[in-house]
Amino acid sequence: MPVLAILLVCGVLWPDPRMRPPHSARDAPGRARAAGLQAARPAAPGPPPVLDYDFFKQRVQPIFLAKRPGRARCYVCHRGGGGTNYLQLLSPGASTWDEEQSRRNFEAVRRLVVPGSPEKSRLLLHPLAEEAGGDEFHGGGRQWTSRDDAEWQTLAAWVRGETLK
Amino acid sequence: MRQNDRTARRPAVALALAASLAALLAAAGARAADAPKLRIVQTNSAGDNVSIIDPATNTVVGEIKDIEVNHGAAAAPDGSRLYISNEAEHTLDIVEARTLRVVRRVPLSGRPNNVSISHDGRRVYVAIAQAPGAVDVIDTASETRVKSIPIDGAGHNTYVTPDGRFVVAGSVAGKSLTVIDQKTEEPVWSMRFDAGVRPIAFERNADGSTRRMFVQLSDFHGFAVVDFAARKEVARVTLPDVPGAARSLNVQGSPSHGIGIAPDGRTLWATSKWYHFVAAYSMPDLKLLGIVPVGHHPDWLTFSPDSRRVYVACAGSNVVSVVDVAGLKEVAKIPVGQVPKRNITAMLLQP
Repeated sequence: MPVLAILLVCGVLWPDPRMRPPHSARDAPGRARAAGLQAARPAAPGPPPVLDYDFFKQRVQPIFLAKRPGRARCYVCHRGGGGTNYLQLLSPGASTWDEEQSRRNFEAVRRLVVPGSPEKSRLLLHPLAEEAGGDEFHGGGRQWTSRDDAEWQTLAAWVRGETLK
Repeated sequence: MRQNDRTARRPAVALALAASLAALLAAAGARAADAPKLRIVQTNSAGDNVSIIDPATNTVVGEIKDIEVNHGAAAAPDGSRLYISNEAEHTLDIVEARTLRVVRRVPLSGRPNNVSISHDGRRVYVAIAQAPGAVDVIDTASETRVKSIPIDGAGHNTYVTPDGRFVVAGSVAGKSLTVIDQKTEEPVWSMRFDAGVRPIAFERNADGSTRRMFVQLSDFHGFAVVDFAARKEVARVTLPDVPGAARSLNVQGSPSHGIGIAPDGRTLWATSKWYHFVAAYSMPDLKLLGIVPVGHHPDWLTFSPDSRRVYVACAGSNVVSVVDVAGLKEVAKIPVGQVPKRNITAMLLQP
């Protein structure tokens, strides 16, 4: 088995790299290493952090409306409030969500994360470039090319339980 | 005085003549410069731009900006305009080919997907991807929506058949396709499948009429063959697997999305998002000629007019793969925008 694993990792069994399975079909730890991340030393078990609503409202939500050059906004594809439409429709003429809409957004988006574990959270991995350890494909494109991106770091901070205080 | 007047007028006359001559030369130059040029128009579904490719050099030579989540593209027959569906604004955006600027956004009845255009260029047909589903009809002279034709489920792609007689709209949610008379703009027949209807290719008879449709379906790695006159499915063709290769996991419900028949009618090409290849079949017997590895998530394809090249939009790699038909191999990768999907071949009036 170890030999087989080495052959697979080295690409020996897939001479044509384009015919190899995508990264996401391979082992996640390997992906994390490829992205330059060290496997975290096992932490002492404890309760997962609580996701902070105010941090979400003030720091996370604006990311969904932000325009990145050459890219579509998260909001355009994920508006509507159902299925993959995690975000509430903005009220006519509004540039952001009201309190009730923000609460609904919070409840929908929190289901896309694993509190305390940004590296296991779909919200952070799906729009992240595969080369940076993200998913193989996101219909909305590669919104972040690196985990060093300020927006990615903001999302990670929220998932780790940071608050505004 | 009169002499002085004449003398004084001479420079003005000379200037006017020079200006006229310059204008004539400029106009002549502009006409030559604006001669139709062959282009591949590549939409970028997760971007805000459309890439214009020169197939002579396989490079991006132009960009249409400010169309967020652009979906489908159609070109006016005279090459003066492009029509791009805009999912962010729910509009059909009219783009001047010469400047690549959006000159008008036509409001639609809902969120659009793909578009097609009548042979005379007077009508653009827009698939409306919201329930209950429709084909919006845009009059290109008045630049307004003049009609919404109900179809069986939210629309995904629209096509005008090679003879121009019918508009065909497919629905993923409705698992159906609707055939619309192009002249009356009324549905004339429809057909249901066991899965959502994705891209469609059309084979023509000698007289130009439609002989068969090749219909890609949700969750099917291949395509269904439909006898157009009989209005029934007659076969299914499954694309080959690649032994030892794992399937791509996220294919948006459509392992094979992107199909077309080369302009010479000799080959049919279909994409595999599972394995990132395009498969070539001989026509009309549908024998597999081979597969060609391309970029990830090949989603759509178009051809050079001489049938020598296939341009494959690879949504997962943000490139267009250029495939040599005779050699069955990829010969170039053209970087484009985010998640390129629909593409067309067009003659555009460009500088």
